[in-house]
Amino acid sequence: MATQLNINTELKLRPAARVMNLVRLGSLHASRLSFSRSLVRQMAREDWTVSTVRNDLDDQGHGVVIYRLETPHHIYHGVVFSRHLDPEQRSDRVIAEAWDVTFALVEGPVDDILLEQMESNVPLQEAGRQNPRLLVLSRANKSLRNFGYFVEALAEGRQPDPAWLTRVGYLYRTTAVYGNGKFGIADYARLQKNPDFNRPFSAQMFAVYLLRHFSIHQVEHLARCRAPDQAVGLAPALQRYLGIGNSTGLGMAPFLINHPQLIQQWVYCRERALAWAREQPPTEASRLHLMTLLRRAHQHFVETVTEDAEQTRRNAATVTSIAAVIVWLDQMQASPALWDELLNWADDNCSLEAQELINTLLIELYPDVIDAAEDELACEEILELQPEMKATALKQMIENRFAWALDYDPKNPDHKYWFWYRSVEKEEPRLGVRAEEPGAEKELPLAIGPRIYRTYQLLDAFLDRSPRGSVVEFLMAHPGQKECVRRIQTMGATPYGEIQANLWHRDMKPMHLLRTKLSFFGASRFDPKSDRWVRVTLFQGAPLFRELFSDHGADMARLAALDDWSFPVEPDSDSL
Amino acid sequence: MKVSFNELQGMGRKAFIGIGFAEGDAIDAAEMVAWMEAHGLGGVAALKKGLAYLLTEDPADTPTLVYQDADFSVLDAHNHSILGNASLAVELGYARARARGLSITKIRRCHNRVLVIGYLSRLARRGMNVTAFWRNSHEPLIEQVVGFKAGHPVPEICVYSLEDVPDDVEKNDGITLIMANHVDLLPSLRSDYALTNLMRQTEEELENQRDRALVEGLEVDDQLWKTLKSLADRLLVEASEASRGGAGAGKSDDD
Repeated sequence: MATQLNINTELKLRPAARVMNLVRLGSLHASRLSFSRSLVRQMAREDWTVSTVRNDLDDQGHGVVIYRLETPHHIYHGVVFSRHLDPEQRSDRVIAEAWDVTFALVEGPVDDILLEQMESNVPLQEAGRQNPRLLVLSRANKSLRNFGYFVEALAEGRQPDPAWLTRVGYLYRTTAVYGNGKFGIADYARLQKNPDFNRPFSAQMFAVYLLRHFSIHQVEHLARCRAPDQAVGLAPALQRYLGIGNSTGLGMAPFLINHPQLIQQWVYCRERALAWAREQPPTEASRLHLMTLLRRAHQHFVETVTEDAEQTRRNAATVTSIAAVIVWLDQMQASPALWDELLNWADDNCSLEAQELINTLLIELYPDVIDAAEDELACEEILELQPEMKATALKQMIENRFAWALDYDPKNPDHKYWFWYRSVEKEEPRLGVRAEEPGAEKELPLAIGPRIYRTYQLLDAFLDRSPRGSVVEFLMAHPGQKECVRRIQTMGATPYGEIQANLWHRDMKPMHLLRTKLSFFGASRFDPKSDRWVRVTLFQGAPLFRELFSDHGADMARLAALDDWSFPVEPDSDSL
Repeated sequence: MKVSFNELQGMGRKAFIGIGFAEGDAIDAAEMVAWMEAHGLGGVAALKKGLAYLLTEDPADTPTLVYQDADFSVLDAHNHSILGNASLAVELGYARARARGLSITKIRRCHNRVLVIGYLSRLARRGMNVTAFWRNSHEPLIEQVVGFKAGHPVPEICVYSLEDVPDDVEKNDGITLIMANHVDLLPSLRSDYALTNLMRQTEEELENQRDRALVEGLEVDDQLWKTLKSLADRLLVEASEASRGGAGAGKSDDD
């Protein structure tokens, strides 16, 4: 069950109306509680090791590679199938049917029978039937320009220009990373008792991290095939600066609406971390540490490139704001109220993205206080009805906790402009204009605001007839309201589960939904391709497998150094 | 074919919405089937048996209240599957038990009754002691008793046949639900009467079965899966030029 409201009420948590505003959520950045950061810390703390147990790539880089992962608790295998992809089949969309690589993370050993089964099914992705021992199923396409350039440079015995990775921070871009029972693979419920991967999306994050390892392996292999006597390996600084891309569309949006308890937990943990950080007494050392982090983040955004005009404007605003924050903070002393003053100053002087960046960096300062929250990011998800509740109490709950939903105006066409649906084409989620496109009768029930509004109207009429009625009596009269009512009752007890926006509204930007989720994953370099399609980079700057050891967590200084990889900046090419 | 718990639940949910269930009922029905199957209680077989009926039922035809007082409710489910919106009849009993300490709810004329176990698990998690009881209506006469202890997500189940068939000839196609807030209703599903036990499953056995199901997957009849898929496909919108643009993807993914 998601964390209830009455816990930690003494903390200065930001109000839900501010935090759950969709535009603000769409301005979030990866933080130290993001899943990719958390996974890398865990791998380093527990000395996870990865070895190559099969390496069958031909001179085109096609074939099979199998990696073995050993953790303190279990053994897993990552199996990668690399195949030729016809250019006309290259697509990031879910409707694609072939990819440059397909891969899976398997619990336990991979024997010949399982490998044969995987060879027949993993490359088919959604069209295959997968084995229940697979924890993650995924695929990726090359960034052709980067890939070709990297092979060429390494084959010529020189290091690629780091600026290429600043423009596009990866050699491979995933287009879906499936977990939780999809297409026959293991249910998440099976991982809940597994200390390696019981955090949300941690198995998926590991699979992506493993693909990064493979991409280095493959590009070096191809360079050696092309020029065995001349080729060089990729410089460690570039290996670190190399991430994995992800291309995401509207498919990410339904998750945010269909898992409100999980969203509550993610946002609550982040907000609580911010509240804890604000409570810590600033010192001269922490002030200077924050300035160091701000300077690095500033440089990261100075370097970040996107073709999207709106994101370019937002990045420029972040750069301007953060430069101003650095000047402001430089003039301040470490007084007890410094963090509150900083955040208040940022509210008045910084763009939304910059405000959230400052929050993210403030959280960075206090790992000892904050990192334990990563064990609270999962929760049991079940929306429970309270049938005995008085209908008047339900009405009051809507008025008090969901007032934003009552702003919906059914007579205003702009308030119901869009509808969400799935297409017959591989069930791809899409957005249609209600007044113009067919299919609204099959729409996905994602617009929670208008639904709560409808429940409220029916409740009002019911209470006129039955002022002392209970919720179950209301539902006997209006059975179709059951799901909305139990959602109101469950989420009404928590602050941050509901995104406070009408997802039908003409002004609603789907990009904000995508960015919300991606920020919790740990994505950076947001590069929108439209208002509903975005490319991001994961693990850029993260330490490599061979660096991940800390004497089983005993070497705290090493752990802290390994963990310090957020907002990476371009390596100096002279140092490679 | 083998499917995961999440797949069965997800496909079931979409198929029930395709049939015309309201979203909440579809979620509950899918959860009931998947929960039963994962615990080795034949959720898929029960669905297969009842699906033909479901397709002919009007999902808007809800159970009606025949009688109620503060402690006792009788509802008529109109010969519909328990998978429809009968969950509200169960919730009525729950609300009464919360208010009065104990309630009895009788849901008459319903089929697919065994699947109700999947929903009762929800009530037990909310801290309610629940006992459900029903008989089939033909010989050999079989009684099924399911007991959930408050806070325990899995029940103890006992199925037995009766040797002495009563003279009562009235059709017995209902479910009786007894709920108690604080009282452990059936400490153990055992009786001093000489019963012919057909099945008895403890909480531990059911939990072990669930753990196995999560490792091995759930077996679903190919034809049933195809039927569920075609029902789920009713929710999909035909592709058009406008809809292809609605995905919002870029024109080329070469970079």
